[in-house]
Amino acid sequence: MSSPALAPPLGLAAVGAPPDGGAWPREAERQEIEACRRGEREAFDRLVERHQREVYRLCYRYVGNHEDADDLSQEVFLKAWRAIGRFRGESSIRTWLYRIAVNACLNFRALRRPATQELSASLADPVPGALAHAEGDEEARRVRAAVVRLPERQRATLILKVYHELTHEEVAGILGSTVGTVKANLFHALGNLRRLMAEEGK
Amino acid sequence: MTSHVADESLADLAEGGGSDAERAHVGACGPCSARVEDAGAALALARRADVPEPSPLYWEAMRRNVARRTAEEPRGPRWAWLVPVPIAAVLAVFALTAGRTQAPPTPPERMLAAWSALPPAEDDASLEVLAGVAATDADLANLDEGRGVGVFLAGLSDEEGRALVDSLRGAGQGGAS
Repeated sequence: MSSPALAPPLGLAAVGAPPDGGAWPREAERQEIEACRRGEREAFDRLVERHQREVYRLCYRYVGNHEDADDLSQEVFLKAWRAIGRFRGESSIRTWLYRIAVNACLNFRALRRPATQELSASLADPVPGALAHAEGDEEARRVRAAVVRLPERQRATLILKVYHELTHEEVAGILGSTVGTVKANLFHALGNLRRLMAEEGK
Repeated sequence: MTSHVADESLADLAEGGGSDAERAHVGACGPCSARVEDAGAALALARRADVPEPSPLYWEAMRRNVARRTAEEPRGPRWAWLVPVPIAAVLAVFALTAGRTQAPPTPPERMLAAWSALPPAEDDASLEVLAGVAATDADLANLDEGRGVGVFLAGLSDEEGRALVDSLRGAGQGGAS
């Protein structure tokens, strides 16, 4: 049994933190965030290392290609660096980063895609990514392309709930909606996903 | 349960959740059962779509890029809380000085010259005092705005007040002579 008093300061590496979003001890995470708030870049670098994969994957699922996902991911961490002084710890740092990422994705789409695009539009991959040639799983590629075609909030709900396994309450907090809306959006997202896949198969 | 299951419960049911009443309804209702089945199939389909894994070198490159960009930031989070301080200081100074159209005259350091019936010399220190206590256009404007002579006089320092009294007394004596 470990005591917080004996925990190494900022010792996330010391406590064997997994690099891909695994659970850190709450006290260790709190210390790490405090270090970031004090402007310690090394601590922030560790935070990036810990959460970069999850943030990247969220962005990738949202935009459907590596280049934009890379840009967005870096932007997410830049915004986090600027705003971490205002992080109050009311949610986990992971959920807080997801909120920044979803907002960045929503703004990204608003800037780069005409708002008039219809759900039934062609399902051809809009922006073939640099890694597309390496994607062996054709069905996965088709699903990802269909996910990118979903309406914004349905897409965000599906990504957060299905791929990042957040609770309904966490998704509602990130999207600023109710649990009921999240559940309904998820159901409609799943229905539209099947419809889009069927349309592509015709 | 007579009505169909609400949309917001169907995804829950597809994941094995939902209330007992909802599950009982789905078991007995063909349309609801089909919708739950469709949602479950879509869920399984969605879960099969992994994101392509970038090169292992990519993660290090991303960290370097983020570190470089945060280093270029003019302020880190450490300084964010300090930003309001200079703004507040400027506002406070402005609030203290905004209502004053003219700074009060500096009290004279030299002793006033004794009254003389002779015309004042250009280097007469009393001229400086008189200029200091004389009402300016701005003061007159303030008076016009209702500050009143009493308020204006109340704003004078002791030295200014004495100088004004002396000047007025001198003017009265001069006029009488």
